[in-house]
Amino acid sequence: MDFKPCELATTIGMNGQDTPLISVLEEIQSRYRYLPREAMVLVSERMGVPLSQVYSVATFYNAFSLRPKGRHVVTVCMGTACHVRGSKRVLEQVEETLDIRPGETTPDRQFSLETVNCLGACALGPIMVIEGEYFGQMTPDKVEPGLDQYSNGGDEGENE
Amino acid sequence: MTRIATPAELDSLRRSLIQARDPNRRVIAVCGGTGCRASGSLSVIGAFREELRDQGLDGEVDVVATGCPGLCERGPIVVIRPQGIFYERVTVEDVSAIVGESVLKGEVVERLLHVDPETGRRATFKEDIRFYQKQKRFVLDQNGIIDPTSINDYIELGGYSALCKALRGMTPGEIIEEISASKLRGRGGAGFPTGLKWRFCHEAPGETKYVVCNADEGDPGAYMDDSLMEGNPHRVLEGMIIGAYAIGAQYGFVYIRNEYPLAVEHLQMAIDEAEACGLLGKDILGSGFDFTLEIRLGSGAFVCGEETALMASIEGRIGEPRPRPPFPAQSGLWGKPTNINNVETWANVPIIINRGAEWYSSQGTERSGGTKIFSLVGKINNTGLVEVPIGTALGDIIYDMGGGIRGGKRFKAAQLGGPSGGCIPKEHLDATVDYATLQELGAIMGSGGLVVCDEDTCMVDLARYFLSFVQEESCGKCIPCRVGTQAMLDTLERICAGEGREGDIEYLIELASEIKRSALCGLGQTAPNPVLTTIRYFRDEYEAHIRDKRCPAGACQELFVSPCQNACPAGTDVPLYTSLIAEGRFTEAVAAILDTNPFPSVCGRVCHHPCEAKCRRNQTDAAVSIRQLKRFVGDHVENRPLPSVTSRANPAKVAIVGAGPSGLTCAYFLARMGYRPTVFEKLPVAGGMLAVGIPDYRLPRDVLEREIQGIEALGVEIVTNTSLGQDTTLAQLQGQGYEAFYIATGAHGGRRLGIAGEELQGVVQAVDFLRDVNLSPGETRAGRRVAVVGGGNAAIDAARSALRLGAERVYVLYRRTRSEMPAQAEEIEAAQAEGIEFRFLVTPAAIVGDGEKVSAVECQPMELGEYDRSGRRRPIPAQDDPFQLEVDMVVAAISQSPEATDALGDSDVETTAGGLIKIDGNGCTNLPNVFAGGDVCSGPSLAINAIAAGEKGAVAIDQYLNPDETRIYSWRQMRPADVPFDPGAKAVEYGRCQTSELTVAERSAGFREVEGTISADTAVREARRCLRCDCRETEM
Repeated sequence: MDFKPCELATTIGMNGQDTPLISVLEEIQSRYRYLPREAMVLVSERMGVPLSQVYSVATFYNAFSLRPKGRHVVTVCMGTACHVRGSKRVLEQVEETLDIRPGETTPDRQFSLETVNCLGACALGPIMVIEGEYFGQMTPDKVEPGLDQYSNGGDEGENE
Repeated sequence: MTRIATPAELDSLRRSLIQARDPNRRVIAVCGGTGCRASGSLSVIGAFREELRDQGLDGEVDVVATGCPGLCERGPIVVIRPQGIFYERVTVEDVSAIVGESVLKGEVVERLLHVDPETGRRATFKEDIRFYQKQKRFVLDQNGIIDPTSINDYIELGGYSALCKALRGMTPGEIIEEISASKLRGRGGAGFPTGLKWRFCHEAPGETKYVVCNADEGDPGAYMDDSLMEGNPHRVLEGMIIGAYAIGAQYGFVYIRNEYPLAVEHLQMAIDEAEACGLLGKDILGSGFDFTLEIRLGSGAFVCGEETALMASIEGRIGEPRPRPPFPAQSGLWGKPTNINNVETWANVPIIINRGAEWYSSQGTERSGGTKIFSLVGKINNTGLVEVPIGTALGDIIYDMGGGIRGGKRFKAAQLGGPSGGCIPKEHLDATVDYATLQELGAIMGSGGLVVCDEDTCMVDLARYFLSFVQEESCGKCIPCRVGTQAMLDTLERICAGEGREGDIEYLIELASEIKRSALCGLGQTAPNPVLTTIRYFRDEYEAHIRDKRCPAGACQELFVSPCQNACPAGTDVPLYTSLIAEGRFTEAVAAILDTNPFPSVCGRVCHHPCEAKCRRNQTDAAVSIRQLKRFVGDHVENRPLPSVTSRANPAKVAIVGAGPSGLTCAYFLARMGYRPTVFEKLPVAGGMLAVGIPDYRLPRDVLEREIQGIEALGVEIVTNTSLGQDTTLAQLQGQGYEAFYIATGAHGGRRLGIAGEELQGVVQAVDFLRDVNLSPGETRAGRRVAVVGGGNAAIDAARSALRLGAERVYVLYRRTRSEMPAQAEEIEAAQAEGIEFRFLVTPAAIVGDGEKVSAVECQPMELGEYDRSGRRRPIPAQDDPFQLEVDMVVAAISQSPEATDALGDSDVETTAGGLIKIDGNGCTNLPNVFAGGDVCSGPSLAINAIAAGEKGAVAIDQYLNPDETRIYSWRQMRPADVPFDPGAKAVEYGRCQTSELTVAERSAGFREVEGTISADTAVREARRCLRCDCRETEM
């Protein structure tokens, strides 16, 4: 979704003056899936917070991204339970299939790859999530079929 | 929703809800928690709704998405009420059967029931499942029952009655007193007494106060807080409202991580509903008490679980911790007194208020009341959430509730407390899980993550994992954490990459203690714990990485080529010979084996094949049958190629004592280095235990002899009937010009049972019996009714041999259960098939004689007690009465011991108290020219270990005799396999090959070999199943 300053203005307005900076940034992140530079400038102006502070918060928390995300976000859990059950090899397989590293987006902007410390589905580890759909008990050979559901242009596995 | 204005109105609402509830109403309760969603429960819920609609039942049967009932591994979980039938792993395809059978007819769909992995029994109801039986679920009791999005469900089951009780009849001081008396301690990690914490905040001066629920459950591997908020959010709210009232707080926050979207959703719904009912907001239940609650989302920073960082984050700043004091109770959010507890702590509060401190504190230990929820995850069968009284034994959690280790692997350690915690090894399975005991062992209770590690988990890699986690999550404010943990991580990464150095362990310990002492907050101060505990309990694994550049668990990929080769003690290049077999290049394949192991056909029959346990093909279907491939190629190639031999002769005389697998392997490698070693053997035959310990039906004599001849062909002389100690001594051999010695006399002594009647005729040692069976099969007799005592391979060999010698009934008496038996599983199965009767949990108390002969064995029934140092339950005499088994022969097979002391005579070779020869990692004894290996050093062990020791001994001897030469031992070098490999090709899909076996009737006729060799076609086919883990490059 492209950034539209008018939308952001309403976001900040709706939450009122007291809304903490983090909550505002969370809303922007969830709407645009990243924090556009223009948005951070606008937040700084509207909320009267120095841009340096906005940037500091935006770069401290893992949930914020300063780069646009792909259409589908693939998240591989690297929590302890997933780690001892081989999540590293699952991640390697995703990296190989998509040819990107964690934090990166494919050139066609279809997929972004992320890692996360724990998703709370530890009993089913290793866990991979694509667009909110959880894939439990992952093995490297289940990676491609999982990604295929999303890569053929269709959105049929998408979880609304 | 109407506002509930008074406690009386709440009571009447509850009564009307109960009255309206039809106890016979049919309900399909499907777990809608995150775990079961990952297993597809949302589609199952959809399918149920559709099926009911199609059948016109949607008005009569309810479908409820509940919170997590705990047994997440088996999800999606479906419970059919009113009967309470418990189904697991339900898929969309099962839906119509469940509706047709269970909902309409009230019958049970057997195939979807839980099966006990040990007994094989099916359980219809939750109460019958062992996972639940020893749990005490007070906090989780309503998870899986109520609809978490309905406040009425919660109220109907007594929800908010604790709040009523508190507001109606208790002063804040009384509530705090009750919480103190309950001995509730913080469930978030540090275990601070909750009542005391509340009192501090209550007594702090100031009008405005806050309560906070720390739901930033960042400890990876712990998800009980997630599950509580998803499955029963109102209980958390109720606890917070009571706490706020007691403390005097008007505002509250739930700080919850955004990685838990479902928990956020349910919690927000609960807050909205509670507000609408008047349970939050102004004048709650007419008490005049106001309390407002808001959610704050964590944005993915582990450090925000630390309370001062958490408060900074709620205030909208970056989550950097600050020094304490001041503690939050004095100066918390916006400088006001603040009380922070975690989710599980808050959820315990309504239970304490309702049931009273006295009852609550009667659960748990003297110093710590109540229960603790653990998320039991990792390499365990029943992963999920368990709630147990504090003070439960760790072994009970892992084995009784967890159902033991996945895939029959061995338990190695439990990791508690995540990045701030530590691991507990099998030696401490009897430890009780309480704050003090865990701390003593180097771990912490933490928030309750209990990650089970098995033999495939590398403890150095685990330490590296946690350090890299901490390093990534360190906020960077203080130098000990930011720089210190990086220095530790760098060291661990070097060790895992095979670049470890002597002194690294000491360096890690030194850094760790400095960081613990000087870091600013809890995250930094506890960050070294995983490293310190792994060093404390698994120092040998660190040393293997640093000194031998070896990862015993097969996890550190830089240290090996393929997991199977890494698992082989002798380092046999499995992918090389497997891929050669796949190409039909059998001669080259056997040459590849012979390069590191002179016994392909022997090991192809008797090896424990640790390689197969590590085969990655296990993750898709079953391991490649590596042992069978080795056997095939060993048997199939008639003219074996000679292994590489150095052209230069080494004239030094070397004596090897003992012609077992270790001694012969040592001789084999020495011969390849140009020596002409002499092997002295006490027995009339060469082969050691391979010849006199293993019966012919497992290892025919001619197979062994062929491989011994192959060793002799290299110029090795074997002198039989010559015993060290009796016929010659080390000193005499030295006098004859021998310059170096390798002692490998094995462990041929039997251990006595130590009970009355052992001197009777008919009581024999398994080693003696098996030796007689092997050396003079025609003259050896077994009894008519035989009892073999023991659980190892020797016991099974003795039992199966006795049967072949004509025994009518053969018993194996073992004091533990089948799952603790050390014998190979395939041996036990074969013995059972042949009709051998296993009596588990039985130990012989006495042998009864009729005159001089054995007439019976008196057996004491046993039961399993506490966990011992081996991580197994210790057998203890049970209450049951002893019984007698009528037998005329008793075979003692409880252990074998070395006879080193006799052999060594008056030489100065150092031995242990148990009579084993002491050696270092290279096979050197305390004397410079004496080396040793095999069972005489390790105690009874596997043939492949003895073979590996023989090679080490040979290299050590060569280095001793030629100290000035730099030699390259060709078989220790890696060779790239010159076998084509297409990384893009799909792995073949067919399963593991079958092996032919004699029928049971054919076996009893004598000592014919039971198992057959696979055909060349089958071998090629099987070899193609190999996934070629040795090829790491993705592009050729």
